[in-house]
Amino acid sequence: MIALPRPSTIFLAAITALVAVLLYSPLFVPIVSSFFTISHGNVDWSSPTLSTYVTLAGNHEILAALRTTLIVGLCTVVLSVISGTLLALYYHGRRSGRSYLQFIIFLPFLMPPVISGLALLIFFREIGLERSLLTVVIGHTVFVLAIVYRTVLMRLQSMSRTLVEASYDLGATGWQTFWRIILPNLSSAMIGGAILAFALSFDETMITILVTGTQSTLPVRLWAMMRLGFSPDINALVALILMFTVLLCVLAARFLIPRQMATERN
Amino acid sequence: MNQNTDLLTLRSVSKAYGTVPVLHDIDLSIRDGEFLTVLGPSGSGKTTVLRLIGGLEPLTSGEIRLDGEDISRMPINRRPFNTVFQDYALFPHMTVSGNVGYGLSVRHLKRTEIARRVGEALDLVQLGLFAERFPSQLSGGQRQRVALARALICQPRLILLDEPLAALDLELRRQMQEFLKSIQREIKTTFLFVTHDQEEAIGMADRICVMQAGHIRQLGTPHELYYKPNCEFVARFFGENNLVAGKLGPVQGEQRPIETALGRLVCSIGGQPHLKAAPDGASAFAAFRPEALHLADATDSGNRFSGTIADLAFAGSSTVATIAAGADNASQRLRLRMPSRIGGSVLKSGETVSLSFAPHEGHLVLA
Repeated sequence: MIALPRPSTIFLAAITALVAVLLYSPLFVPIVSSFFTISHGNVDWSSPTLSTYVTLAGNHEILAALRTTLIVGLCTVVLSVISGTLLALYYHGRRSGRSYLQFIIFLPFLMPPVISGLALLIFFREIGLERSLLTVVIGHTVFVLAIVYRTVLMRLQSMSRTLVEASYDLGATGWQTFWRIILPNLSSAMIGGAILAFALSFDETMITILVTGTQSTLPVRLWAMMRLGFSPDINALVALILMFTVLLCVLAARFLIPRQMATERN
Repeated sequence: MNQNTDLLTLRSVSKAYGTVPVLHDIDLSIRDGEFLTVLGPSGSGKTTVLRLIGGLEPLTSGEIRLDGEDISRMPINRRPFNTVFQDYALFPHMTVSGNVGYGLSVRHLKRTEIARRVGEALDLVQLGLFAERFPSQLSGGQRQRVALARALICQPRLILLDEPLAALDLELRRQMQEFLKSIQREIKTTFLFVTHDQEEAIGMADRICVMQAGHIRQLGTPHELYYKPNCEFVARFFGENNLVAGKLGPVQGEQRPIETALGRLVCSIGGQPHLKAAPDGASAFAAFRPEALHLADATDSGNRFSGTIADLAFAGSSTVATIAAGADNASQRLRLRMPSRIGGSVLKSGETVSLSFAPHEGHLVLA
């Protein structure tokens, strides 16, 4: 670590604290206010309540949107984990044309979502595919593929080549080596990638608005509610989504960061 | 098991990565049941030899024969050889017994049969109590033994070991050397052991194959390589040797003189026709071991010359003197090794002494 003079350390700490406050304090406003009622545009701080959550639970549109979101998320996860893993395996075993493949996979993730969404919309119209949950799932899969692909590829690249060689050396076939050596060593990366993919799909708004049919996902519903005016339900909904997303990210981190194995000797 | 029959033969085997050649026309025979060490500095191609035999790399040209049958194109998973990898390559998601039993379970043996043989293999490497541990819970030496058990459970014709002791500390390495040697005697399987450590090679091998820059320089017993190196590289690579350059004189029976900066030195050429055949005046080296060099006494009729003791180093059981000899006692550096004495060395730093070595302890190496 670089040792800095004391005034600079204090200065850096202050900057860090300021950035953290500016970035994260807005997130706490809806969480805190979701526990209070609003009357005449003023928050009533005197009586904490769960009434916003009760209202939310009675909102059938919200619940339907939640169900849609979960279905889309799960389908997206299954599709993106399978195709992302296959692409990573293909890329890892290839010598030429690798950078093009990488570029194509990353493009939808790096492009502004509105462009990706429009491109997909035009594509679906051209091939005559009706806008539905299927088009949403396809849109989300294209979008999150890069994350799963990258996560699995990193694990593949950190896996010692001699593991595969040892498996063949011990008499295993290619198929046995894949199922018994490669896949088990990728599994935690695949689970981590799946959770990240789910979190991204859960929050995705722009592409969804463009390619969805009549059903809306949770973020899209939220967007619609915002347009109609500020309602206290939204605070509760934001608080719930926030908690859920954080939970997913914590879970993903657990699978992706190598755990320190308990060693009895050394 | 007959040490005189060849198990595996490499015939003019070459290997190139792209346009970069790493092995040039290697010929090598491995005898059934022997402990053969392939020794060489990094980049000598020794690991490539092992990978070609194991089937991890395809040959560029030449052939590999097992019991006289060409196996050059046999896929890796059908070759009756198993490898102990340098990084052990233990499967991190399997327990010790899962790792050891892998070679049997991919061949669809019965569970009870696998369990029995895994138990036997783990007992052989003294890891019976560790069967349910994961590799991450083992020490370096234990992982090494798991890798060995995993290789020998398939009862291969040949076990290939790729610098398996390189990652261990000195004390553990010594123990593992003895352990490997005793296992090899017990299971009577042929071992092909790759290392860059000449001490390790001398201590373990029945025969040593010295490689340099993609060529085999010499193949022989540790004793032959130590006392009768056939080229400058082997003479310098194997332990500390005194090499003195000069021109060959006429053959005198089983001996031949060489004119050097230390004067005329007479060396043995016993049993080495190429030394007899070399023309007079050819460039060569007189090679003699530090332990062959000693202080000359009045009766010494051998190769005598004088030198100045430049440095004395106490190394436990022996003491090593660095000696400046030749023109003005400066042109040639030599080493002399003698047993240490409790009263201190008879040699004094800075002293000029008369030295000698017997003709039968000197050897010639063509330049």
